[in-house]
Amino acid sequence: MTHLALSKISKDFGGTTVVQDFNLDVKKGEFVSFLGPSGCGKTTTLRMIAGFEMPTAGQIVMDDVDITNQPPNQRNVGMIFQAYALFPNMTVTQNIGFGLQIRRESRAVIKQRTDEMLALINLEKHADKYPYQLSGGQQQRVSLARALAVRPQVLLLDEPLSALDAKIRVSLRSEIRAIQKTLGITAIFVTHDQEEALSISDRIVVMNAGEMEQVGTPFEVYNFPQTRFVANFVGSLNTANAEVTDPAKGLLSVGGVQFITASDLAARKKGEAVRVSIRPERFSFLSEHKKDNALDCVIENITFLGSVVRIQIKIGDSNFNMDTFNNPFLELPKLGSKEKVTCSKEAVLVLDE
Amino acid sequence: MNQTSDKKRGGKFWAWFWMILGILYFFLPLVATFLFSLRAKLGVLSFTAYQHVFNDSNFIYNFSYSVLWGVLTIIVGVLIFVPTAYLIRLKLPKFRLPVEFITMLPFVIPAIVYVFSLVRTFSQPPLLIVNSPALLVAGYVILSMPYMYSAIDTGLRAIDVQTLTEAGQSLGAGWGTILFKIILPNIRTAILSGAFLSFAIVIGELILAQYLVKPAFAPYMTYLIQQKAYEPAAMAIISFALTWAAMGIIQFIGRGSEQGQIAGGH
Repeated sequence: MTHLALSKISKDFGGTTVVQDFNLDVKKGEFVSFLGPSGCGKTTTLRMIAGFEMPTAGQIVMDDVDITNQPPNQRNVGMIFQAYALFPNMTVTQNIGFGLQIRRESRAVIKQRTDEMLALINLEKHADKYPYQLSGGQQQRVSLARALAVRPQVLLLDEPLSALDAKIRVSLRSEIRAIQKTLGITAIFVTHDQEEALSISDRIVVMNAGEMEQVGTPFEVYNFPQTRFVANFVGSLNTANAEVTDPAKGLLSVGGVQFITASDLAARKKGEAVRVSIRPERFSFLSEHKKDNALDCVIENITFLGSVVRIQIKIGDSNFNMDTFNNPFLELPKLGSKEKVTCSKEAVLVLDE
Repeated sequence: MNQTSDKKRGGKFWAWFWMILGILYFFLPLVATFLFSLRAKLGVLSFTAYQHVFNDSNFIYNFSYSVLWGVLTIIVGVLIFVPTAYLIRLKLPKFRLPVEFITMLPFVIPAIVYVFSLVRTFSQPPLLIVNSPALLVAGYVILSMPYMYSAIDTGLRAIDVQTLTEAGQSLGAGWGTILFKIILPNIRTAILSGAFLSFAIVIGELILAQYLVKPAFAPYMTYLIQQKAYEPAAMAIISFALTWAAMGIIQFIGRGSEQGQIAGGH
């Protein structure tokens, strides 16, 4: 059942369209991420759900109530900001209890709920501290507790991890996800970090230039991108110019080397120029498991990236990156050596713009 | 090498020279006034002039009124300028420069011109309020506007007004709650600075009170200068002491608030 529905939402700022024809149904308890580059409209869409921006067109419905024109303080929506936005004049406990005070809850209820929340975020010992006495990660956890204390229908998170360092970002995102699952609360998460979106979400909405490019599970978005933008933005991608040589059989020529693809080429003509996209990890050295494409290559460069080793290979005239997992016993080819690599036809994507 | 160190030494000398000159320029008249105020009794230094001042019921009367006008000016100023500066920062940033220009007008319009305009405008129906203390307070609010507004605006600049407002809204707070429970406490130091500056302005302001014929400290001091020798000097020192005490209170209350604003700061 739809918990939050955004129908044909658009937003203009002084004649510039920032969000266009945005449609999304979110189920109760779902964790949906808006992913896209800066200026793609993801934060504006989130702010429209929060009520901080009014849509130029369209409708926002939450639990069958049209909230499109409701002021933000009348929507039961919790918001977490990138800059934490804790009230500097209040202690952790006062920050968490603020929303409950506004709702005129009794002292007993406020005490019980703030204690619950402090336990949830493991900051019981910091209850009487002021925000400036806490680390960034702790402040963001208090912000989460403050938003959850009022039991909102939807939790909105506007790049909440961007201001934190890498390690805390990873641990806090797991914490946010765990709390969201425990409470079964619907959450909308805005990020430009694809790894963050892939790791935390039930579904991802990839946005570009104010429009939705693709909506799907992290698996679908990563493995079956529907547009070139999605393929490029989510994960690393090799792209190369190609020419359709046999549309019926899915054959392409990439710099004189034949590739076979699982992408539908039925609508394309023989000789049509296209661009192929292949993720680096879809290549592997040819062993006994030969896949659809067996390709001669030359090793151009090898870069050690920690858990992954990136090998630059030249197939025909085109350069590709190939990623392979690092292990201490990995026998890497020598620079300039000739090798054979393989990839499945599903890995060779021919995508529309 | 030697030339460089000579230049540095020369630079230091002139820096000290100008600083000492500045200090002397400021403190010498003050010290002279203070010493003069102690000479009420022939041949000895004493606080007799101060005793006379504090025993004078007129001093207490006029000074109490000035304090009252000062407090009312601060209250009215805070009630007008905090919401104004807040709304301009939050919703009407385009109006920031014009409003800043308007708030600076008391610096360029002489008080005498201003007071005659007030008297002319408000001494005939339907706005016959020239005898009301409200007009005096309103006048003081305008005179203290450059200090009060810029202090509040500086305070608002130090916190992330928009995000704090939105955080409050998302938790269900209305405008009043946001203003009085979130914004106001976080610009407390700035408001105090503006308040004490306004207070100092009101205590020392002569023209407005004199022409609107209201009891106040400055007109009384002017009157006393014409009548007595040492007591006005004592009063000048008292007014300095009061102003400095006000500054000290700002420093004291403002301690630690810099850190307190970090979380909501830019």
